Amino acid sequence: MTGGCRSLVVLLMIEDRILVWRFNRGEPAALCRIHEKYREGLLKVAAALLNDRSGVEDVLHDVFVDFAQTTGRFRLQGSLKGYLSICVANRARDRNRTTRRRESVGLNEIPAPSADVAGPEQAALSHELAAKLDGAMAELPDEQREVIVLHVQSKLPFREIARLREISINTAMSRYRYDLDKLRSILNGELEL
Amino acid sequence: MTDSRDTKRVVERYLEGLRTPGADRVDAKVLPDALAAMHKAKLQTAPCSRFTWRMVMTSRTGGLIAAALVVAVVSFAVLDSFTQPAWALADALEALKDYRAVHIVGAFPGGTAEAWIRGNDAGTRSTDVVVRGSHGAITWTKEGSTYHYEPGQNTVYFEDALTVGMTPWLGRELLEMLGTADTAKVIHGKDPATGRDRVTLMCSLTDVHGPQSWIIEFDKASKLPVAMKQWQNLYRDGPPIFDAFKIIYYQDLPDDIFNVPVPNDAEYVEKPLQIPEATVGILSDPRDGISTEGLTQQEAARKIVQTLYQAVIGQDIDRLKSLSPLCRNWGDEFLRRIIFKPDKDDRIVEILEIGPVGRTGQSPLGPIAAVPTTLRLKNGKKVRQQMIVQFRQRGDTASCVVHGPYGLPREVE
Repeated sequence: MTGGCRSLVVLLMIEDRILVWRFNRGEPAALCRIHEKYREGLLKVAAALLNDRSGVEDVLHDVFVDFAQTTGRFRLQGSLKGYLSICVANRARDRNRTTRRRESVGLNEIPAPSADVAGPEQAALSHELAAKLDGAMAELPDEQREVIVLHVQSKLPFREIARLREISINTAMSRYRYDLDKLRSILNGELEL
Repeated sequence: MTDSRDTKRVVERYLEGLRTPGADRVDAKVLPDALAAMHKAKLQTAPCSRFTWRMVMTSRTGGLIAAALVVAVVSFAVLDSFTQPAWALADALEALKDYRAVHIVGAFPGGTAEAWIRGNDAGTRSTDVVVRGSHGAITWTKEGSTYHYEPGQNTVYFEDALTVGMTPWLGRELLEMLGTADTAKVIHGKDPATGRDRVTLMCSLTDVHGPQSWIIEFDKASKLPVAMKQWQNLYRDGPPIFDAFKIIYYQDLPDDIFNVPVPNDAEYVEKPLQIPEATVGILSDPRDGISTEGLTQQEAARKIVQTLYQAVIGQDIDRLKSLSPLCRNWGDEFLRRIIFKPDKDDRIVEILEIGPVGRTGQSPLGPIAAVPTTLRLKNGKKVRQQMIVQFRQRGDTASCVVHGPYGLPREVE
């Protein structure tokens, strides 16, 4: 990590500490700011973890309503982003127990081709790859899918995932490696980066 | 694909590309419930002193204080009409006119508080207020500002507005205001403990502090209010937020009651500008307010405040409701009597100055800003009133509405 990035992370952490302090003082604006700040990332975490993606808003709703109820007594250990991401993962896991694993992927759910893809041929390939990856992710057990999503999407270090999940750091890392190996084996031959 | 780093990059792109619902849709689903849950949690679990702070600073310490601020809502007070069934407590109005100060003692969930309040010579509004919570927190006003000391944090929170106090002062207007609200009921009974006759007034209103309801008990012999309960809903549902069990009246009070010692090493922090979550929904109708397209926030705030006061001066009730949607909660006659005041000397007749945006904040709808305005009344006096403007963005359309007054009006030279 460069010095500039590290400074940025420190600033973000400081902002979160201030937000949490204001949140505990009961300021609605602080809750709104936390929601605004992490909404998009948490929605992606939920979308990646849920078997039924129609529930992403419900998951976020439930997480923030629960979080809001802790005002005045919330104690932040680690990062706020990590805490909220884990809450989303827990909610997603609960919902997944009552919904079937994704078997097919609707066109609207498939990630859009990246804007930097050159030409329609590659765009189509990217779209196809996304659909395949979507299926591959759905095949992963919840606890393994969580590690890869929390690490790659939420940028949580393995140490924090391990702490929040109450597993050893080696377990977190091995789950992550297992995930990547499995995804690579599924996707192998479909893409050369 | 060659190694795990490549796979990670593919997964990153996959996650980045995941489609999620639009921000507006998610905000609309999540924020109202989350804010409501936060509000409820604060009431249930907040430490006493914090509760006092919120209660006091939003004028919820006592129904009388809160009711008074209802009037401040636009210098805008209540008085549905004198045509309602005869106000059975008319004698109380006469009994109150000689008292310039009041001491209120009561309980709120988690503690007790006492308030000392003194009115001005004209008997139109409060000038000095001190509220002391049982856990050591103190709220007071001084020279146009409101302060709150939190002993646990050794911090004084302050704001440049009189956000606690009463206007009108205890007396005719205030009681008429409460008594003529659409929901007002008067019940006659007897206090079983003392055997004295009591008259009970029940009423409810939604104002800039959200929905509120009260029960006020009058002693029939002395004609004075002797107890009061206040709820933060229109239906007197659940435990009251404040239960004033002792109200004592004085012709005056010594100045030193209003002196508040603060530790020299206390930190001073400006309180953020806020509006209650309960009023946000009323402000969200896109048909209300004015467009801010092509205007800076400064220009838009100035324009809507100027238009609002022009509507007040011109006694345009529909325009007033459109610009300040909270006014829709009150009857037309009430608005005329309290805001337009066609037959009173303290009605607004001229806009002297609209100042630059002062304090700013954020509500779930968007930015809010306090705009100071200097006005001339028919009696020649000048008053300074701050109005809170709510900015909104709906899709590609930007607009703003007036939430209501920020604190009580102040007379200026």
